[in-house]
Amino acid sequence: MQLTAIGTVAVTLMLLGAFLFIRTTLADLGNGMLQQIEISVYVDSNATPHEIAALRASFRADPRIASVAFIPKSEGLKELRDRTRGVIDTSLLTENPLPDKFRVRVHDPALVPAVAADLRRLTGVGNVVYGQQVVQRLLRLGDVLRRVGMALIALFLVVAGIIISNTTRIAVYARRREIGIMQLVGATNIYIRMPFICEGLVVGLIGAAAAVVLLVAARETLWPRMLEALPFVQFNVTTVDVPRLVLQLFLVGGIIGATAAWFAVGRYLQT
Amino acid sequence: MISLRGVSLVYPNGVRALDQVSLEIAKGEFVFLVGHSGTGKSSLLRLLYREAPPTSGEITVDGIRVDRLPRRRVPALRRHLGVVFQDFKLLPDKTVWENVAFAMQVTGAPTKEIMRQVPRALDLVGLSHRSRMYPDELSGGEQQRTAIARALVNNPKILLCDEPTGNLDPANTTEIVDLLLRINLKGTTVVVATHNQAVVDRMRRRVVRLENGKIVTDKERGYYYLGLGQGQVLSG
Repeated sequence: MQLTAIGTVAVTLMLLGAFLFIRTTLADLGNGMLQQIEISVYVDSNATPHEIAALRASFRADPRIASVAFIPKSEGLKELRDRTRGVIDTSLLTENPLPDKFRVRVHDPALVPAVAADLRRLTGVGNVVYGQQVVQRLLRLGDVLRRVGMALIALFLVVAGIIISNTTRIAVYARRREIGIMQLVGATNIYIRMPFICEGLVVGLIGAAAAVVLLVAARETLWPRMLEALPFVQFNVTTVDVPRLVLQLFLVGGIIGATAAWFAVGRYLQT
Repeated sequence: MISLRGVSLVYPNGVRALDQVSLEIAKGEFVFLVGHSGTGKSSLLRLLYREAPPTSGEITVDGIRVDRLPRRRVPALRRHLGVVFQDFKLLPDKTVWENVAFAMQVTGAPTKEIMRQVPRALDLVGLSHRSRMYPDELSGGEQQRTAIARALVNNPKILLCDEPTGNLDPANTTEIVDLLLRINLKGTTVVVATHNQAVVDRMRRRVVRLENGKIVTDKERGYYYLGLGQGQVLSG
């Protein structure tokens, strides 16, 4: 019975921990991408150096554009190599497939679609690519995940509370004789409650410990594989405050355990 | 020491367990509550140790207004009282010593005090040699003596006994009653609810008789039947 309670707390807190971890990571990712948002203007492979110079001049003239950087195809390949090092073997390439490109930054991310559309009409421009849609979807996904996650966790917390309080009630019932005698000889309710609340607290803390162990294991095994599977996404894991997260889980575990036990014994003592 | 004024107790199912009961018990008295089963003896005791609040009326025990006592103050009242039951209410997984010490531990008494009071209580009931035994290794009389030691270990001024000899043979009954008498002689107010006629008639103490939740007779040096006092003749 105690194992059931511990298991429920562990699963609940693991969900909570994973959720908080993913939320922080996603939020960082979204913010980072929004700030880094840029328009890649790929130069048509047939463009002459004169046309390229003209493009650069027209970018400079556009007041909406904050900065322009010209990335020749050789440098573009080097960047690609750096970013995919150890994942994709670029040494197999016999020639550079990349076109030259301009990296264009806009003052206001909201203007990106309009600027991109204008740039596409210029002569010598092959393709215009920007990642705003991806970013917006990511942020929206994060929002949905947050709501669904919160609802799910709230539900699990309630279930964990009910299971702990049921476990406590069974323990109280098993010791009702002893409790009756305690009350008879003048034990205070706090004194009677304390062992059960400690038990609930311990169940909550053990559940939290189990959740932390599972989360650490998941981070050690699953997380690197996820990074591997998404090499182009630059997750910034370091911003997750791990000690604080662990502390939060223990806090939530302890509170849910002690509170559920408190109410379970309280209901018995009132009658 | 104990005072009831116009006390009634009506259970939620409508049964009127006590009906306008008034009773005064002085410090150091020894009082028998007698009557058939279901006449309200146990209910009256339960009101005194605040197992239930009265429906109406005033109850004072050792200066505490029990009828107005908030729930959180009940433990304080119980520490002024010792209560003994027909079924002993001992914890089977604790030794005699532990059962007696338990009553002090739950009040948060310091270990030093427990080490001093428990032997005293066990000595009083004559069970010092049984202190390491478990309840199921004892005779019924010894179990009840353990329960009495537990009731007395906190030095209560009042000892309430609900059918203390109900589960005992005549020899053990005599033993327990003599013990209660000795406790009373030390100054403790003792109230015994019983339907053991032999005990009441042998002791010749104050007898309060209950019938249908009402006190019908209250006599000093009374007998069990009709609570007749010395020199009185049975009438109607």
